[in-house]
Order: sequence, then structure tokens, then C-alpha cells
Amino acid sequence: MKALRATFLRELRAYFVSPLAYLVLFFFLLYNGIVFTAVVSVLNDPRSGGTERPMDQLFQGFFFWIILCFISTVLTMRLISEELRSGSIEVLMTAPITEAQVIVGKYLAALTFFCALWVPTVAYAGIVARSSHVDWGPIAGGYFGIFCLGALFLAVGVLFSALTKSQLLAAIMTFVVLVAVLFLIGLLDNLFNGEIAKQALGYVNLFGHMEEFHRGIVDSRHLVYYGSAIFFFLFLASRALEDRKWR
Amino acid sequence: MIEAHDLSRRYGDFTAVDGVSFTAADHEILGMLGPNGAGKTTTIRMITGFLPPTAGRVTIAGRDLFESPTEVRRHLGYLPENVALYPEMRVEEYLLYRARLEGLAGGEVRTAVGEAVERCLLEEVRHQIIGTISKGFRQRVGLATAILHRPGVLVLDEPTVGLDPKQIISIRELIRELGRERTLLLSTHILPEVELLCDRVIIIDRGRIAAEGTPESLRRSWVGNPNLRVTLKEAPAAAAAALQELAGVLAVRSGAGGPGSFVLECDRAADPREEVFRAAVAHGWVLLELALEAPSLEEVFVRLTTHEQPLEAGSAGSTGSAGSASGAAEDEAGPPPPPPPAAGSGSSEVPS
Repeated sequence: MKALRATFLRELRAYFVSPLAYLVLFFFLLYNGIVFTAVVSVLNDPRSGGTERPMDQLFQGFFFWIILCFISTVLTMRLISEELRSGSIEVLMTAPITEAQVIVGKYLAALTFFCALWVPTVAYAGIVARSSHVDWGPIAGGYFGIFCLGALFLAVGVLFSALTKSQLLAAIMTFVVLVAVLFLIGLLDNLFNGEIAKQALGYVNLFGHMEEFHRGIVDSRHLVYYGSAIFFFLFLASRALEDRKWR
Repeated sequence: MIEAHDLSRRYGDFTAVDGVSFTAADHEILGMLGPNGAGKTTTIRMITGFLPPTAGRVTIAGRDLFESPTEVRRHLGYLPENVALYPEMRVEEYLLYRARLEGLAGGEVRTAVGEAVERCLLEEVRHQIIGTISKGFRQRVGLATAILHRPGVLVLDEPTVGLDPKQIISIRELIRELGRERTLLLSTHILPEVELLCDRVIIIDRGRIAAEGTPESLRRSWVGNPNLRVTLKEAPAAAAAALQELAGVLAVRSGAGGPGSFVLECDRAADPREEVFRAAVAHGWVLLELALEAPSLEEVFVRLTTHEQPLEAGSAGSTGSAGSASGAAEDEAGPPPPPPPAAGSGSSEVPS
């Protein structure tokens, strides 16, 4: 447990001294600007006659999904592959720590940094709340949705980072897979209007989940879905790290 | 205490280590020698638990490495061949992290880091960023990492690489001191270091242990015939043939010191120095040098790890022939290393 904590703290600190984290921050601020503009323009548009949930802008749209994929990719690409490339994995894995602890420690650091990125955006809700009615339930649900999606995407990123020595390759694989899966879900969602297909897709429909979350609906099925998917990816990542021994 | 039982490691069809067994006792410095590609690093990685062996077993401080890996690793300090650190961290910050990773708690962490900084002479770079310090300092940060949690067993792979001569002396002193307190496995290709530091030596070649013993016993049993270095002024033409005729001289090769320089391979029982002197007087040669070469561990090493390639005269044990030895070691088709020769019959194994 001490080893896991030490790994977690080291990785978290590493984010604040790495140039990549600042790249993430840059794009994140850019995204924030776009969202805030959108929120304000929706509120200002006389034709829309106001909107019931102005903060929805924060949790939907093309930019939301792209920025989510982008952040997850950049935050995880370095985590394991850098250790494999530099060889520091050798001193790490000869310390009293298991592969699973390494993976979980690093994953939690990425997740913590990810959450920290979103904290300032709460201010937008605060600003909007001064001049308009804000329903805090759905906003909390929306943030919870971001947390779940981020946790899932980061787990995918950690897996790819554990698979290769090359940060770039890890990044490309993570980003491509995340975007491809989202695209596929969107495509299938539009193609199949049959009730059964829709229902089956519903379990993996990340867009659908997010929509429910930011309506304030937190379904326990979704929690089980995210929990088990995250466990699955982290388990694979830990096995990938162990596999290095046998090659 | 390190015990390796019949360790083997295969990479696909290639057998990197083949049935290596050895024991390093408490308070002992065991040296591990071998040409590049002989399986040293693979063996060390199996001892430290970084690589699992294909077959065999490792016990450290009486506990099996594969039954309780995390527990055993607490007693193990390891300096790998390529010291890879996190370049963005500061030296002290990194050591604090490592101390916590090793499971030290609260006050112990600071004490352990302070002690390691002092012993590895890191005081002046303590607050510097690892990416900005020299290779020698990084090497010492690696060493500090290895001794931080006061492990009973230390494994050091090429600890003095990249250090300047002054640092080498201080690190060797530290290694000797550490060896008194614990079990130390030292892999190196610097032969004087082995003679200086190690209580016992194993020589690994092509994944097998080629020889084992104290540096003295290895020298005694493995060095073949003594060499006599002779330098004559102005290189008389008939000198080589005349020297060959002398009693006790088995072979004459040209030495490294120009045309008048010769290396005479002599019978172990004989000392032909007097004969050489008389021959010089009789022929009217001017004798500039006459020296019996002390057999060195380098020679043992080269002899044990050279396959099919004859030794170059006068370069025995130099880096050049050690390099050719490593090249030959990769040649799988060669004969297995020769068995230790009985005293006096070593000449039969000398490829010349």
C-alpha cells in the first residue's frame, strides 16, 4: 500500500513538471473558452427564448468528446511506455511493488489530474447562477458523467501505454481507438432504430449514458458498466506489464 | 546470502543462460566476470527478480524469490547496468520517493536518504534536477537507491562505469565497506576491480559458469606458461631463431615494443632468463629489457572466454583481445570452454 501511494504521488507530481501537462491545459482552456462562449450566446439569443439547462453546453457536442479523447490520450501516453523506453522499469519492478500496484498507482494519478482539470469549470455554473436559474442536480450528474467517461478512457490509455515502449504509438493507438469506438457507437445509434438493437446498444452507448447523467439520472447499471470496464482494462494493462518478463 | 540453483533462461530458441548455479555467502563480495553477451546481465536480472528464469530457482536470505517476490525484494538492493532515473525529479526528491517505495516509514525515510546521500557523496547535487547532473553523479544516485533501505543483499552491475578516477576510488572503498556488512554480487569487466574487491569470482561464458574460485586460485589453475619479455637493441636478424633454441623456451612471438621486442613462452618449470642473458652475451646483443611477466587475471579471463581465435602476441588481456573474445562468444558453433587443466599441462589448451 505504501508502494502504491509512493507511485501515485510521484506520478501526480510528474504531471506538474511535464510540458505535456501544459499542452493539455492549453487545449483545455481553449475548450473552456468555446464552451463559455456557447453558454453565453445561448443565454443571449433572443430567439431561443432562454434555455432550461444552459450548462448543458459543457457536457455535449463535438468538442466535448474530442477534448475528452485528447486529454485521456495525452495524460496516459507517457505513464508506462516511458518507463519501458528509458529502462527505469527495471529499478521499479525490482522494488517491493507488484505490477498491479504500479498500474493502479499511475492510473489514479492520471485520474486525479484529470479531475483537477475540470474543477475550475465549476466557476461557469457559478457565474451563470448569478443571472439565471441553475439546476444543480443535472450539473452534478454531468460532472459525474465526465468522471466516469474520463475514468474509462484513461484506463484504455493506460492499457495502450503498457503495450508499447513508444509514447507516440501509445498515444496514436489510444486516440484512434477511442474516437473509432465513439464514431461506431454514433453510427450504430443512427442506423438502428429497432427497439431491441437500441436497447442492446444502450448498454454501451456512451453518448446515451452521458445524456442521462447530465439529466441527473445516475443508473446503477451504468456504474456497474464503467466499473467493470475500467477493471478489465487495468487488469489487461497489468498483465501486459507482466508479459514483458516472458519475451 | 544469494543462492542460485540451476538457473536457465531461454529467449525463443536462444539459450542465454544455461544451468548456472552459485552461492554468495554473507559478508562476501562475489565477482561476476564475462564477455559481453555471455549472460551476465540476464543472470543478474534473474537474481533480482526482474526476469523469471525458464528453469531453476533463486533464494535470497533463505527465501525463495518466486514464492514471495515482494518480501524478498525488500532485502535486495540493485544497481542495474543502465541506470535509468526520472530526469525531471530532484536528487533528494527521487531518493525520498524510492525510500517510500521500499516501504520505509515516516522518520526512517529522512534518515535513510541522509545516510545514502552521505555515503554516495551526493551532498553537492542533493537539490539538483537529475536530468542536469553528470553521468557519474547519476551512477551514484543509482547506487544510493540500491543501498537506501539497507538491504542484506546488494547486486551491482558495472558500478564504476562513467566515473572519473577519483570517484572510482571512493566508490570502490564504499563497495568494500558494503561487502563487509552484507552479501554483494558485483558484475564488472574491469579486471583490476575484481582482484581488488572480490573474495571470490565466477567467470560466465556463453551462459555457463566457466570457472569459479578466488582470484588467486583462478590465476594458479588457469594461467598457462609464463611469458618472458625480451627487448634487444637494433633487432639482430637471427635473434628469434636463436632464442627459440634456448632450453625452456617453447615459442617465440614478436612483442609489442617494435622489431627488437620478443615474447618467449617458457616452460613452467624452467626460468630461461639466465640462458637469454648468456645468449645475448655470446651473440653480442645489447639487452634492453628482460622481464618475467606476472600472470594476470586478465589472461585467465581471455583464455577462458576466447574461442577458436588465437591470442595475438603481446595483447593478452588488453581491451582489444577482450573485444575479440566477446565476438567469438557469440559464435554458437564453437567448442565448449576447456576444462581446468592439470598443473603443468596447461600448454595444451593455449591457442597460439
